[in-house]
Amino acid sequence: MELQISYVNSILIFSIFALSLNLLLGYAGQVSVAHAAFGAVGGYSVAFLFLQHGVDLLPGLVVGVVLSALVGVVVGLPALRLSTEFLILLTLAAQTIILTLVTTSSNLGGTYGLQGVSGLSVFGRKLLKPSDLLPVFLVLAVVVYLLVRRLGESPYGRVLRGIREDEVACRSLGKNVFTYKLTVFGVTAAMAGLAGGLFVVQNGLASPSLFSFDQSTAIVAMVILGGTGNLVGSILGATVLVLLTPFFDSALNFTPERAALWRLIAYGVVLVIVMLVRPQGLLPEGTTLLRLGRRLLARRATPAPGSVPAMGGVRLPQQQVRSALVEPGGLDLDRDAHALTELAHHGDLPDTVVSTGHRGDVVLSVSGLSKRFGGVVAAEDLNMELRQGTITALVGPNGAGKTTVFNLLTGAIRPDAGRVTLNGQDISGLRPDQVADKGMVRSFQDVRVFPRLSALDNVILAIQGQPGEHVGGLFLRPGATSRAERDAHDKALEWLSFVGMDSMAGLPAGALAFGQQKLVALARVLATEADVVLLDEPASGIDQQWVEVMLGLIEQLREKGRTICIVEHNLHDVGRLADHTYFMELGRITAQGSFEELTGEKRLAEAYFGTA
Amino acid sequence: MSSVTLDNFLQLTVAGVVAGSAYALMGVAFGLILSVTGRFHFAFTFTYTISAYLASQVGESYGLPFWLSLIVGAVAGAVFGVAIERFVYRPLAAKSGVYALLVIFVASLGLAIMGRNLIALAWIDSASKQITGFTNAGYNIGPVTLTKLGIIHVVVAWVLVLLLGAVLTYTGLGRVVRAVRVNPDMALVVGVDPKTVYLAVFAIGSFMGGVEAVLSATQTAAQPDMGFTPLFYAFVVAFLAGLGSHPVRVGLVGLSIGLVENWSALFMSSRWTSLVVFGILFVYVALRPVQMVSLRRRLRPAQA
Repeated sequence: MELQISYVNSILIFSIFALSLNLLLGYAGQVSVAHAAFGAVGGYSVAFLFLQHGVDLLPGLVVGVVLSALVGVVVGLPALRLSTEFLILLTLAAQTIILTLVTTSSNLGGTYGLQGVSGLSVFGRKLLKPSDLLPVFLVLAVVVYLLVRRLGESPYGRVLRGIREDEVACRSLGKNVFTYKLTVFGVTAAMAGLAGGLFVVQNGLASPSLFSFDQSTAIVAMVILGGTGNLVGSILGATVLVLLTPFFDSALNFTPERAALWRLIAYGVVLVIVMLVRPQGLLPEGTTLLRLGRRLLARRATPAPGSVPAMGGVRLPQQQVRSALVEPGGLDLDRDAHALTELAHHGDLPDTVVSTGHRGDVVLSVSGLSKRFGGVVAAEDLNMELRQGTITALVGPNGAGKTTVFNLLTGAIRPDAGRVTLNGQDISGLRPDQVADKGMVRSFQDVRVFPRLSALDNVILAIQGQPGEHVGGLFLRPGATSRAERDAHDKALEWLSFVGMDSMAGLPAGALAFGQQKLVALARVLATEADVVLLDEPASGIDQQWVEVMLGLIEQLREKGRTICIVEHNLHDVGRLADHTYFMELGRITAQGSFEELTGEKRLAEAYFGTA
Repeated sequence: MSSVTLDNFLQLTVAGVVAGSAYALMGVAFGLILSVTGRFHFAFTFTYTISAYLASQVGESYGLPFWLSLIVGAVAGAVFGVAIERFVYRPLAAKSGVYALLVIFVASLGLAIMGRNLIALAWIDSASKQITGFTNAGYNIGPVTLTKLGIIHVVVAWVLVLLLGAVLTYTGLGRVVRAVRVNPDMALVVGVDPKTVYLAVFAIGSFMGGVEAVLSATQTAAQPDMGFTPLFYAFVVAFLAGLGSHPVRVGLVGLSIGLVENWSALFMSSRWTSLVVFGILFVYVALRPVQMVSLRRRLRPAQA
């Protein structure tokens, strides 16, 4: 019995490891192969404090958790701009460094570790047998599960998933990606430290082999096996991998030496086969055990069509979802046609508080803005103004630096010189998320929707001032959080219906056609309620009927008093929309005026407008 | 800790050059595979180790001369490498789309674990195996001792690195490999099949790794877990040099790591030297996070 209980204890410990890594990997998209090393920080803290100072389990755990969180933040610091493979590498280095430190430090017992960590007590009760440990482990595992769930399935978790999908887009919507990454590294490392502490208590010692690189990769395997972004999946993954040991020991009758080898071989084979058969994991994101069970039953009844539930309970043919995920924006004529009929009756512009100024006031002014990349002049002494309630167009040949202007205005690129003033405030040198906070938001030429989030979640992410997007608000103001969440949901639906996409709200944005993605992206920009909206080629690459829809929407925005700047190639569209036009060549503004004035100038007509 | 004397310094330099040449070969081999295919090929440890074991086995069973054993071992490594790409990574990449990088990483870990233990099981009676047919010799030059094996190690490593560099720079195969590395989709458009190139890259990389494994096992002995440390160094070298860098550059980075590591023994206990290497890696990755975006595109191997 005690043996079985010790397996349950192991499952609980590794569930904590896997749950915390899932928050980091599955939600925030940050890979870590240093999770066992974070555990080592917690585990060695507990062991050291107990052996040297007689500190009991709970205070020891508190110290261990705090230390692991600090180590996690230090490792997370450089992670700001790293992509997956470099994160694997960075955390691999961190894992090796921490383990080498632990192994070579004589205070920590070297290779043999700290032995004799037994007889700790909790609330005066000595923990000797596995059955003594079980209740403590269970309570802590449940607490961790609830914490991770609260963090992951909430506005905060939505931001994390946004970061996973597209950091640049996330920042453009006003999210401080850096802080999010640091907190999530810290929080998950803290949980790993907790698991490490429990692991040491269970084993009665803290040794390097308990927290080796193999252990780190096993935790990664549990998360991937269970399904990234699915918390129950992580528990399932931990259970499967932990139980492989007793399963093979009892199922196969080998000498102990051979049994250990066979078990590891089987472990490797299981990993490979599961990845081959089910690369998205046993329980993919958005799937519950119940739904999975129902589907298995349904499949047994009608074996032919496989389908997966999409987010929001809408069902899509499996192949379609997969191909859409692989190549976002894959065009599908049927769906396009369907969407067009939907667009025929799109909703009205939601009432929002737009700035208090008068039509024609200068909202944004740019003076002397310059940027060089090495010897290349990307922008040279730009001076421009955007006026309230008007549409300003930026035109010019390819490579003139139009998109660079947007990057400079929103802080995606730091200018070498010059000032940008928004509503009288100097915003030069601010980060993109700060610029968004001040009320200027841009769209992207390549759309940059969050492909695996639903269209609705894409838009909800843009809604400002949600208390639940921060750890503090999430736990300290639960009431405000859920009220704000309902409001955000309603508002986002209004914006989607404004662009005529409300019927697609539940679909993953990556499964939509390109034109539909552009509309969702527009709704997302508008949902920020920014005064100033920078639209990068809003009507390019989509069918003519959709262009009409798009232009109509932009005109409505102007009516409501938003300040708009567009980069557009189609001169017909520019002629229809623009109140004022800047003409750019090689990073310089070489002419400005009304569209008619510009097209009237012979030199410009030759340089760019051609036959227009 | 060694005392800081000129003699010591020279001897450590010799050791650093030998170790660094090994790192160079591993870094070039692993970097080639990672940069061209985008596979986080952890199972490199397996093709590496099996090369050493098979070289030892054919030498022992058939009495092959050392050089022939070495080639047999390295070719066997290449065969396993190609098989892994063809039968595991390729179907995985085709199936898993956006998850591919991590899915392949995990499957690769699975292969590595499976391989290590299969080898331990296959050679369960004598887990540690010597490479036969090689007689080492030492030469004293002033205060410094060189070994025949050390010299061979350095020469072979650099011949392979330079050869690969020449192939990539001057031959048609090299152009094709570089084209696929830069843009597999575009390569396909101009009639180069990335799949075939991936197989070739796995063959070349695994062969080079196999050669290094046999040489390393000749120095000590083949062990089931002999591949892990060299792979870590290969990671460090490949990334420090920059993915897709010219093999000579990668090789020189490997050489520098070997030297730095050995020289650091002048100032600290040798237990800490791996800390130096990974510390350098950590600081490097932390401080130079530029241009990673383009790699990210490359390493999303949805196209293969």
